[in-house]
Amino acid sequence: MAVVERRQGLLAGAPGRKPGARSRRVTVTLVLALILLFPVIAIPIFQSYAYVMQVGMLALMWISMSSSWNIIGGFAGYISLGHGVFFAIGGYSAGLALAHWEISPFLFLPIAGLAAMLVGFLAGLITLRTRGPAFIVATIAMLFLFLLWFDNWEFIGGSSGLDLPLVQIPVQWLKVPFYYAMALSAIGAVYLSHRVAHSKFGLGLRAISQDETKAEVAGINTRWYKVWAFALSAFFIGTAGAIYGYSLTHLRPLTFFAIAVAARMVLMAIIGGRGTVAGPVLGAFLIIGVNEFAVRQLGQSELNIVFTGLILVAALLFFPQGIVGSLRKAGRLPAFLDWD
Amino acid sequence: MDWLQILVLGLLLGGVYAMMASGLTLLFGVMRVVNLAHAAFILVASYLTYVLFESLALDPIVSLVITMPLMFGLGVVLYLLLFPRLEDNPRYVEMTVLLTFGLALIVEGLMTYTFTGIFRSVRPEYASTSITVGEIFMPTSQLYASLISFALLFGLWSILRFTRTGTAIRATMQNRAAAQIVGVNVRRVSALAFGIGMALAGAAGSLLSFMFPFFPARHWQWIALLLALIVLGGMGSIKGAVIASLLLAVASAVVTDLMGPTWSPITFYLTLFLILMIRPQGLFGVKVRL
Repeated sequence: MAVVERRQGLLAGAPGRKPGARSRRVTVTLVLALILLFPVIAIPIFQSYAYVMQVGMLALMWISMSSSWNIIGGFAGYISLGHGVFFAIGGYSAGLALAHWEISPFLFLPIAGLAAMLVGFLAGLITLRTRGPAFIVATIAMLFLFLLWFDNWEFIGGSSGLDLPLVQIPVQWLKVPFYYAMALSAIGAVYLSHRVAHSKFGLGLRAISQDETKAEVAGINTRWYKVWAFALSAFFIGTAGAIYGYSLTHLRPLTFFAIAVAARMVLMAIIGGRGTVAGPVLGAFLIIGVNEFAVRQLGQSELNIVFTGLILVAALLFFPQGIVGSLRKAGRLPAFLDWD
Repeated sequence: MDWLQILVLGLLLGGVYAMMASGLTLLFGVMRVVNLAHAAFILVASYLTYVLFESLALDPIVSLVITMPLMFGLGVVLYLLLFPRLEDNPRYVEMTVLLTFGLALIVEGLMTYTFTGIFRSVRPEYASTSITVGEIFMPTSQLYASLISFALLFGLWSILRFTRTGTAIRATMQNRAAAQIVGVNVRRVSALAFGIGMALAGAAGSLLSFMFPFFPARHWQWIALLLALIVLGGMGSIKGAVIASLLLAVASAVVTDLMGPTWSPITFYLTLFLILMIRPQGLFGVKVRL
């Protein structure tokens, strides 16, 4: 039944048919302009320019990751705690291309994304044979298997890591290219998420998340839908990993495979609203904001992970549909946040 | 190394694994909750044992008397605070997995904050001695831990088999709705099961504290191992968990012998992966639609 309701919402969401369409277009243009001009605007405003650019890059990175995760975790309802694997595949494939063939990771981005997607496709073929809690457990096992493999693979430096050459740019502007590359990744991820939400494919995924058996009876090839959703969700996590790894200049397996990385993507999507387009973006902004505030006030500490956990528990108990989901249910979702 | 030796070492370790896994699988059986925080709570008990040992020189085996009831209480309180609220959620199982994932993060962060990330271990006298029976060599610590684990497992079995509460727990495991119909207070049983599971985690923590060095983030390795055990045994089957623990402990001892200790965790991850793909219900699990 809920599928039908959503479908009606979906049809009404076609351009020009919905009262909020214009305000949404204005919002999108404004947000895009802000993202692209931010490095220029920030020059006179902020003293610590490099820090601001770094935070901006991280925010865009997490938007890229949580929006991508949302395709399988939100639309299809298959919660993966193993998406750190794709982050690592992106980071390491671009890092190896740079270290061995001197290809700039910025040019390598599409290939890093495709590499992550390929691994996602193969991993999806296997893990998606399971459902519900068994799937969650399988994705955790996938994460640990890859970590063990990367930790002991001499070619990529094992657990001690792989060093990358520095970018030859004046230190002051060092963060700017990373920022723009990450912006590209984030915009791509949100656009993909939007396209999926508005397609027959996305409708199928939603049907799967509501009731998989009924979806199958209705003629949806659930297996392929799920595997493709899993593969698609890997792409922009891979590109984000490539850019992030390059910005660190040193790749270590644990940077990418840390369970906290996978946890954050999930947390952001849940806080913002699983299965919505705007939710993961909003969640990423919120969590990065709160995190930077906490780091500034309390200093970098282990309490950060405590906050992550506390927010996750609180969100699950008190508003499992997230900000966007809860607002929509209450009929109070402002038009500029309704990107579906 | 001699095969008999590997078998004995594997079985000793398997005993401890069995106790850790039985708590986790009991929880799944009664509540359909995969408690990703189980290993984090095991480490809480390890740190508690560590503090008791360092401050009062309390023997880690004796500190079971403290850690078990404390963890039991914590389990009941956590259950009552967190789980009844989620009961009506249509995505209950997923929600609870994420919830316990959040709990694990909180516990890990608090442990790192309090005890820092460095390795700790509890070193009573028997931690560095060994017993030799004929040709077979046994570390005293593992022997003790294994004996206590089997004793506790026997205790758990007796409770489930011979007491009224145990019958109620088993009934709930078989069919929650039907148990409720015949008058079992399912919520009370769940709270109790959570408590028992946590008490076993407490005991496991005290025993692990002198068997292996520990640090807060270690619990992810332990939970992956425990998940492999309960998935192989069939989720919700205590008998299965015990048999799977003994099997996999021996298998990992063989892998360690052949390929070195770095690769021994792969036994568990691969098993977990393969069983989920090939036979999701495990050895003794009932084929439930999750």
